[in-house]
Amino acid sequence: MKNRILIVEDDEAIASAVALSLRVAGYDCAVFDDGAKAADSLPGDHAYDLALLDIMLPGVDGFELFDHMQTYHIPVIYMTAKTDSASEIRGLRDGAEDYVVKPFDVQTLMVRIEKVLRRTGRLNTVYRVRDVELNSETKTVTRSGQPVYLQPLEFGVLLMLLRYKNMTVTREQLMTEVWGYDYVGETRVLDIKIHSLRKKLDLTDAIRTLPKLGYRLEER
Amino acid sequence: MKLWQKAAAACAGVLALVVAVCSAGMLLYARHTILNSSRAQIRAKQRDLAVSFSEMTNYYRLDTDTGPVRASLVNYCFSRFADESSVLMQGSETVSSALTIDPSKWLDLSEAQDMPADGQRTFEGPIDGRDIFMAASLVHIRGEEYAVYTVADVTDVHRDLTVMGGIFLAVSLAGIAAGAGAVTLLMRRGARPLAALSVAAKRIAGGEYEVRADVGTKDEIGALAADFNTMAAAVQTRVDELTETAQRQRLFIGGVNHEFKTPLTAILLHTRLLQQVNLTEAERAQSLSHIERQCTWLERLTQKLLKTISLRQDVEKTPVPARELADRVLSSTRQILSDRNVTLLTDWDESELLVDADLMQSLLVNLVDNASKAYDPGDADRTVRLTVRENVLEVRDMGRGIPPEALERIFEPFYMVDKSRSKKHGGSGLGLALAKQIADAHGARLDVTSTPGEGTAFRVELPAG
Repeated sequence: MKNRILIVEDDEAIASAVALSLRVAGYDCAVFDDGAKAADSLPGDHAYDLALLDIMLPGVDGFELFDHMQTYHIPVIYMTAKTDSASEIRGLRDGAEDYVVKPFDVQTLMVRIEKVLRRTGRLNTVYRVRDVELNSETKTVTRSGQPVYLQPLEFGVLLMLLRYKNMTVTREQLMTEVWGYDYVGETRVLDIKIHSLRKKLDLTDAIRTLPKLGYRLEER
Repeated sequence: MKLWQKAAAACAGVLALVVAVCSAGMLLYARHTILNSSRAQIRAKQRDLAVSFSEMTNYYRLDTDTGPVRASLVNYCFSRFADESSVLMQGSETVSSALTIDPSKWLDLSEAQDMPADGQRTFEGPIDGRDIFMAASLVHIRGEEYAVYTVADVTDVHRDLTVMGGIFLAVSLAGIAAGAGAVTLLMRRGARPLAALSVAAKRIAGGEYEVRADVGTKDEIGALAADFNTMAAAVQTRVDELTETAQRQRLFIGGVNHEFKTPLTAILLHTRLLQQVNLTEAERAQSLSHIERQCTWLERLTQKLLKTISLRQDVEKTPVPARELADRVLSSTRQILSDRNVTLLTDWDESELLVDADLMQSLLVNLVDNASKAYDPGDADRTVRLTVRENVLEVRDMGRGIPPEALERIFEPFYMVDKSRSKKHGGSGLGLALAKQIADAHGARLDVTSTPGEGTAFRVELPAG
């Protein structure tokens, strides 16, 4: 099951970038450019795991839209250009889970989305690529239904790549997230883990090496 | 110590001194006068007694009689004029007296060497606890010498004088107290306006610029308060102006911030997408076109912003024919008007306008651009009228109009009546703000009238001359 996310943002360029990023990372997205339209659509379809709301919206603004989200128990993250603390306070006091201030980057947004989904127990814990399936809850990996044993560090690297599927994950990100500290200098351990992942799961062509940048798990 | 307290204390002090000196002077004078008149009375009484007694003894020719008869006659004659204060003595022997005291003990007439010319001598002093005044003189009757005394008890006079002194003192003290009280009250009342001024000054210093001092007097303090209020009003006006300017600037900066963040976010997001995600060819092209559009938009926004900000410079006014101005607007809006399927009708007279042609063109283009957005896709009559006449320029449309509540805000930077519709037309929210600034730079009025459903008219009135 993919997590489904509602995006209400009147700036088309931002909406499309966010939606595209989330889709390639394995989310389903619905986009509205008008607060009123989004509110009207909710009674018919409200199977969302999360809503990303702009605050300054035509029709119904983000704060008002929040009340509609409450009705259907959809957690909310605001995307706002308003940096003044008044609106932040109002947003969070009303019960919004989080907010991001423009300009933001998608990976920051995705980290927050995951946090909210995990906190509200909605995070999809099963990631797939080709015939490989990873369950972050049970910490198990299967290939064509057969369990595959992975070392904890291998598991961590694979989870990162799956979480940001189709997106570049930098070496620094991997070292920080999986090894748990700011790794400076020799990162050959990472190359070794990638090598063994490719071998064990037959993902040699799926895990792409981007020289000097990092790795990308591709599936399009 | 406060000023009014000092002044009151000084006044009370001076008052006390003056009253004390006056009272003391008056008291001494009164005492002197009263005692003297009382003494004079007693002396006159004694003189009367002595004279009357002497004359009467003469009348009875006492020389013919001797011994007891004579003594009896003398006694008789004296008793005719004597009263309880009269004493007649012969030598140290009392001949007739109603008193228990012997006056010769205090006033001995035998020491004749310092006898005054009228023969009357006096004594004054306490005797047996009483204040006594006595006068005496000698009377010679046929070779015999008698002393005639009038002894008066002046204790009551002294007591009265003491009582009078007490009354004087009490009255003086009361007077001083009343005077000091009155002075204190007066000073306090006089100082109250100063206190009011002080309170007002403190509140103004604390930021309550609308406070005024109300002292309710017409004296110098009243004049000072009036000057103070004038000053406070000037300060308030200035503070209001500065606050308003600061507020406008904050709104403006907030607007700039907001307007830049949205396109920047979009560019950033798409750049990251292109960098980090294996997009399809179509997605890649779409992302790039988003970036290009946002950059173009930022470029336009920046230019308008720069124009808005840099308009503080001097306006170069030259005479421009109305017709030339209309033509310039017509040619520079041709493309955008044909895109929106709107017709621009121009009307001009033969006058010349004293304006900065480039800026005025920019103003009118902004107004025409704005007017051309007033039509909805289905509207049939799509015309904008531009009228350029001597000192009056007008741009009029027959579109949807502007809601009354939005009318007063439309010249604010970044204000948009309908944000999403405005964005679709590439509106920045700066066009009308810029037009307003250009009008201001010319010293011209820019007014707007609008009826929802019927249309809007913008009117520029240049200053006469």
